[in-house]
Amino acid sequence: MFESRSVRRLFLRLRSVFRRSSVDRELDEEFEFHIEQRITFEIRRGLSPEQARAVALRAMDGIEQRKEECRDMRRVNYIADMFQDLRYAGRALHRSPGFAALAIFILALGIGANTAVFTVVNAVLLKPLSYREPDRIVTLSDSTAGKVSTAISKQISIPDFDDWRAQSSSFESMAYYNAREVAVLAGSSAEYARVAPVSSEFFRVFGVEPIVGRQFTIDETKPGTTGAVMISYAYWQSHYGGDPRALGRTVRVLGVRSIVGILPPGFRFPDDTDLWVPIAVTGAAPQSRSAQNFRAVARLKPTVSVEQAQTEMTVIARRLAQTYPASNSGRGVIVARMQDEMVGDVKASLYLLLSAVGVVLLLACANTATLLLGKATARAREVAVRSALGAGRRRIVRQLITEGLLLALIAGAAGLLLAFWGSKALVAVAPGNLPRLADARIDRWVLVFTLGVSMLTNLLCAVVPALYASHVDVSETLKQSAARPSGRSGTIRVRRALVIAEVALAALLVCTAGLVTKSFLMLTDVPLGFRPENVLVMRATMPGAPAVAFPRARQFFRDVLSEAAALPGVVATGATMAPPGSLDSTGGYLVGPLPEKPDWTRAPSVVLSIVAPGTFNALGVPLKEGRDFNDGDAAERPFVAVVNETLVRQAFPDRNAIGRMIHCPFDSFQGMTIVGVVGDVRQRGLDRDPMPECYMPYTQHAFNGVTLSVVARTTGDPNAFAESFRRLAREKSPEVPMKFTTMEQSVSQGVAAPRFRALLFGIFAGLAICLAMAGIYGVMASAVGQRSNELGIRIALGATAGSVLRRILTEGLLLTAVGLGLGLAAAVAGTRLLTSVLFRVQPTDSIVYLGVAILIGTIALAASYIPARRASRIDPLILLRQE
Amino acid sequence: MTRPADLVQGTLDLLLLKIVALEPLHAWAISQRLKLVSSDVLQVSDGSLYPALHKLEQEGWVKAEWKVTENGRRAKFYSLTRAGRRALERETAIWERLAGAISLVVRLTEV
Repeated sequence: MFESRSVRRLFLRLRSVFRRSSVDRELDEEFEFHIEQRITFEIRRGLSPEQARAVALRAMDGIEQRKEECRDMRRVNYIADMFQDLRYAGRALHRSPGFAALAIFILALGIGANTAVFTVVNAVLLKPLSYREPDRIVTLSDSTAGKVSTAISKQISIPDFDDWRAQSSSFESMAYYNAREVAVLAGSSAEYARVAPVSSEFFRVFGVEPIVGRQFTIDETKPGTTGAVMISYAYWQSHYGGDPRALGRTVRVLGVRSIVGILPPGFRFPDDTDLWVPIAVTGAAPQSRSAQNFRAVARLKPTVSVEQAQTEMTVIARRLAQTYPASNSGRGVIVARMQDEMVGDVKASLYLLLSAVGVVLLLACANTATLLLGKATARAREVAVRSALGAGRRRIVRQLITEGLLLALIAGAAGLLLAFWGSKALVAVAPGNLPRLADARIDRWVLVFTLGVSMLTNLLCAVVPALYASHVDVSETLKQSAARPSGRSGTIRVRRALVIAEVALAALLVCTAGLVTKSFLMLTDVPLGFRPENVLVMRATMPGAPAVAFPRARQFFRDVLSEAAALPGVVATGATMAPPGSLDSTGGYLVGPLPEKPDWTRAPSVVLSIVAPGTFNALGVPLKEGRDFNDGDAAERPFVAVVNETLVRQAFPDRNAIGRMIHCPFDSFQGMTIVGVVGDVRQRGLDRDPMPECYMPYTQHAFNGVTLSVVARTTGDPNAFAESFRRLAREKSPEVPMKFTTMEQSVSQGVAAPRFRALLFGIFAGLAICLAMAGIYGVMASAVGQRSNELGIRIALGATAGSVLRRILTEGLLLTAVGLGLGLAAAVAGTRLLTSVLFRVQPTDSIVYLGVAILIGTIALAASYIPARRASRIDPLILLRQE
Repeated sequence: MTRPADLVQGTLDLLLLKIVALEPLHAWAISQRLKLVSSDVLQVSDGSLYPALHKLEQEGWVKAEWKVTENGRRAKFYSLTRAGRRALERETAIWERLAGAISLVVRLTEV
């Protein structure tokens, strides 16, 4: 029964849509019949046929409107009207192609910029991780009270992890891992690859299974065993051509191993790992709770929430702190959803960008709204005619909104195209530390977003003009001459308000851009402590077990350095464990003769690095006192060290460091004599103060000595020297993998995030200024057009061109001043949110605000000048003749 | 506007359903019949009759057929469907409850 009713309803509706003419015929016939009946009835009551007809028609109160109401009742009109409206809208846009192109261009810019930024936000922040039930994967990280939270400070120690695992019940599986770039010899050539040593449950946490081969066996994950490695799908493809016989092949990576499994495409955790090996903890040496060198992940049990797990872990951490106060006091655990943890640092930045680009869209909408409003004024006559012919008010509004919709949809499609290129450009300039950026592409969520934004755009920019147009006073408008469409003061008021809003939004955006750019400039202005120009960096690793590799590494680097120094164009050479900006190792230090039982837990922190003689000179780090290392500082000689000025200030109140003793438990507790003092280098990034640093000669420290970065100052473009360095290194040892970069590149990577912000805000601010300028111009031009009579009379009565010019300019500047005031006030209130991304710039920096005011004032002046000049040249004679 | 302001909101549907429940009629006859049975109290303007009927048809409560009248003209006759009968019962019940309640209130004697 119910079905038959809905089927009939559907049938009626379809009939009305597709057999419109037959429906209309029936409607005509029904009404005709009614009128006839009425006439017969009235004649019978004694009226003349003419009178009867008049009464019948009046009783109907507008036949056409009534028919339209009947059609509306059937609700089919929505569909049929839409097609009609779309056709009509298409014709209307076709009739004024200039207007259409301008409106579409403006909206496409706004929608395109938004879609491009959303594409990145979607990939980085919104898309769920591509693991099985990603919401249940959490990270467990350390939070020691009073320690600055950085990626390194979040790491955990194995004994802590083992206790967590034994005592907790929230997790289905738990694992720890770390990740390194190490030398890998697969086949004959040596190269660097990202390798992750992982604990036994690692793959279970992510719910991944190898697509070929098997997981590590229990035996393979036992302490002290080596021999197995799993590889990524990408590595399988690039190194073995996807051949299943890769299983069982030998790879030299942290020992000699054979491939036991290949993971599915897309699984590269952590970072871009290509090889996974079992963490081999040697059972002999008990691990220290202070050796926080690992990261931990876990999979929650299905019934456990993150909060519950956090509560349990907090209790466990407190218990550990009581049991092991020396290492664990003040140490807590943070349980976080892996996705939240991954995007923690970039979230604020990206949302900031999204809101900035949202402001650009608002501006584009305001701009299009003024355009459409101008259009609506010009079309008042057309609207009046249509409503006189029986179009209801709602119908007219719908028509105008459909026109807006058509504009918005075309603009949306164009915007999508812009976003396609824009998001690629964004990905290219984005800082490399954005996680999952490579996934940024236009998917269905991006399409939904674009469609939504287009609809919103339409709503914002078409509704006000449409409502305005529907209020057209029919008889008034029709009475006015067709030659001179009247501007109603109402629309001019709305357009002025829109322009004020545009200027305000633009001012807000330009202020933000100004602050971010100034902050970026301040950052690049920070003294680096070294000279990055023309420095080639070659990272190289001697593979093999440490006992064998270290003497070979020492020989290799000594040979390479001495021969490289002789290459033409090479000014100075050196080698370091950690080139500036790549903080590698930190530890505690104590100076002077050590007490009986040194308290290392209270030792201040120091950046440790081992270097070759000549490194300071090659990098341009100034030697302030004493001497550099030299070949005399051999392994069997007393240990020596070079420290930086910050360490001297911190450790030696008398500033007298040369000849004093320093102890850093790097690979030995043996004291070192300080032989030199060098300038500070900002190791942790430009926005952080320099840390104390202690350099040691590579000849005296085997630990970590197998991997060094050779640095060479050259006379020209350092990249040109990479090939001769590669050849030189290959000659000395074919097993050593190398990786080239330049000091300038790594410095530039260090400021990539602020540069990205400054660049994008700059682009958005530029767009905003252009849009606001167009808005001011549009409103002033149409104001002049509408007041040409008044202005003509003024000129006829003796007003000089100068005074008219001033009058119009003043008006434009007044609008701008109001908008500017609002925008700057909004900036003062809103830019406080920027504090965390600003460096040495206050959110209320007066120079930036003043600059913005001058810039926008100048632009407003320029935009009002053309209409103003036109106004001052009005010829009253021509004007009067037109009347 | 000539909407039946004197008809309580929504009662026009009820009246139309009731009239066509008695026998299939064309719109003109419906308006005349309504006038007649309500002793000229209830009048629907010609203008608002048609949109209301078309709405009922779209709802599936009445169905329309083209038939020939007694004086040989083609006219659109509306008749009640089964869904329309249920709607009529529902609307009547609501109306009676409402009317009863209103009578109770207006008949309160003042003390």
